Amino acid sequence: MIGRISRTELILRVSLLVIFFLFFMFPIYWMVVTSLKNTVDIFAIPPKWFFSISFENYWYIMSDDSGFLKKILNSAIASTLNALFTLLLAFPAAYSMSRYKTGGINLLMWFLSIRMIPPIVGAIPLFIIFSKLGLVDTFIALPILYIIINLPFAIWMIKSFMDEIPKEIDESAYVEGCSTTGVIFKIIVPLIRPGIFATLVFCFIMSWNEFLIAYIFTRKEAITAPVGVARFITERQILWGYITAGATLASILPMILLIIFQKNLVRGLTLGAVK
Amino acid sequence: MSNKLTKILDIKRVKNYPLYMVIPAVFILLLLTIYPFIYLIFVSSHIWPISPTLPRIFLGFGQFTYLLQDPTFIESLQVTIKLMVVGVTIQIALGTLLAILLSTKTRVTSYFTLPFMIPVFISPVVVGLIWKFMFNYDLGILNYLFEIVGIGAVNWLGTPQNAFWSVVIIDTWQWTPFTTLIIKAGLDSVDPTPVEAATVDGASRFQIFRHVTFPSIAPIFTVALLFRTLDAFKAFDIIYIVTRGGPGGSTYVLGYNIWKTAFYQNQLGLAAAMSVIMIIIATVLAFILVRIMKGLLERE
Repeated sequence: MIGRISRTELILRVSLLVIFFLFFMFPIYWMVVTSLKNTVDIFAIPPKWFFSISFENYWYIMSDDSGFLKKILNSAIASTLNALFTLLLAFPAAYSMSRYKTGGINLLMWFLSIRMIPPIVGAIPLFIIFSKLGLVDTFIALPILYIIINLPFAIWMIKSFMDEIPKEIDESAYVEGCSTTGVIFKIIVPLIRPGIFATLVFCFIMSWNEFLIAYIFTRKEAITAPVGVARFITERQILWGYITAGATLASILPMILLIIFQKNLVRGLTLGAVK
Repeated sequence: MSNKLTKILDIKRVKNYPLYMVIPAVFILLLLTIYPFIYLIFVSSHIWPISPTLPRIFLGFGQFTYLLQDPTFIESLQVTIKLMVVGVTIQIALGTLLAILLSTKTRVTSYFTLPFMIPVFISPVVVGLIWKFMFNYDLGILNYLFEIVGIGAVNWLGTPQNAFWSVVIIDTWQWTPFTTLIIKAGLDSVDPTPVEAATVDGASRFQIFRHVTFPSIAPIFTVALLFRTLDAFKAFDIIYIVTRGGPGGSTYVLGYNIWKTAFYQNQLGLAAAMSVIMIIIATVLAFILVRIMKGLLERE
């Protein structure tokens, strides 16, 4: 692909990139812009490109009436707890699989196959079980359920970071009298720190964005942000101002995290296939 | 055998530690998948209302024979597969094009990559809502632009045909970045030497792509294809937000059908039977993916 490119081709390439860029960016731009309009401007025909900025949607969203901040907080709790649970389970497993090849390729593939289960399929029996245990609409239900979704990703991701540390480093540490715990905490952990953070962030974002499970397993107290936004579609009308404001608030955190951790997050998404 | 078992259970045996480290993850996942799966099969053989006070009636395979003759179920299966095939094909094609555009190393393309990643990392609910607003017949920006250009307003979500394609557009918007990232990573890792050699030999750019570049990215290309296929099979969020399966069942995918049967029509048993069929199809797809991934890992 490196060779010389003719002038026409360059123009073609750049214009294609610009079209793609507009296609992918415009919806996000339009969401943010709409959230900053007042109700009259949102319902204006034709749509207004220039308008006076109004925060009325955000004031409502952040007021006690809408209870949306509580839902954001619920999302944050569920996602943080899940990221921590997942890491605690994934780290030792990934270490063991990276260094001792425990379970070999079959165990690795078993984890992969868990990722392929459609969540709705698990939701029915788990809903009956969780109802019996009285766990529906509690703060612990989602962090536990999201383990099914995130643990396979996390194991593959951490393992792919560990595989990049040469085994010779471990071995020379052992020779110098370091214990296994010492090797893990003094050598492996510091070396893959960016990978550990990326894994935590990845699990956090996946839990933060999840809708189906959150919708089924929460009722009132533990509702998360995506479910909260979806609820602004009422029988009588669709409250576009509140929806776009809520959607913007629910997207800010993942976008900031994406900007900070972009390269390593892609690795999680592709189960470590992309290095 | 019992000797082996006592060895595994011997906590002081250092050789066991790697095994012990894997056990919590495996145990939790087994608990959260295998037990519910067995329970799912049990539920699927009953008429099972959500309310625990209503009676459960044993049917055996009754619901499965019913489903195989149920036109709504068959139709939702067809819609799911159609959406999967059409959506994934477009996403792979566009992803390849975009990956080629972005893999040319210039200053511009390195700035361009981050914005293309955003759709994958925001909630499908948010994605569905933004597009539902843009697709709105009266208020939507798309119809406004279409009228300016002279194409005229389109009833994006109102007719079965249009609604199907609108969902494809939304899915493409969210997931083309994913296929792009994977294929771009493949292109970036291609060894430039054979490409240069072929250029010197006077091969055309298309010939080079077809015979040199493509074979070396084929495995990673397959990974993108299979991941997307399996994820498209799970479609629910966007459908729920944008079309609720309508109009006329044109977007009534299996995931939505199961949700509606279970949590809206209150028939957990029937939904469980559908889930069993869905999981069988997903297993076949996953089996193919696992075989290919295994081949890739073993080749490395």
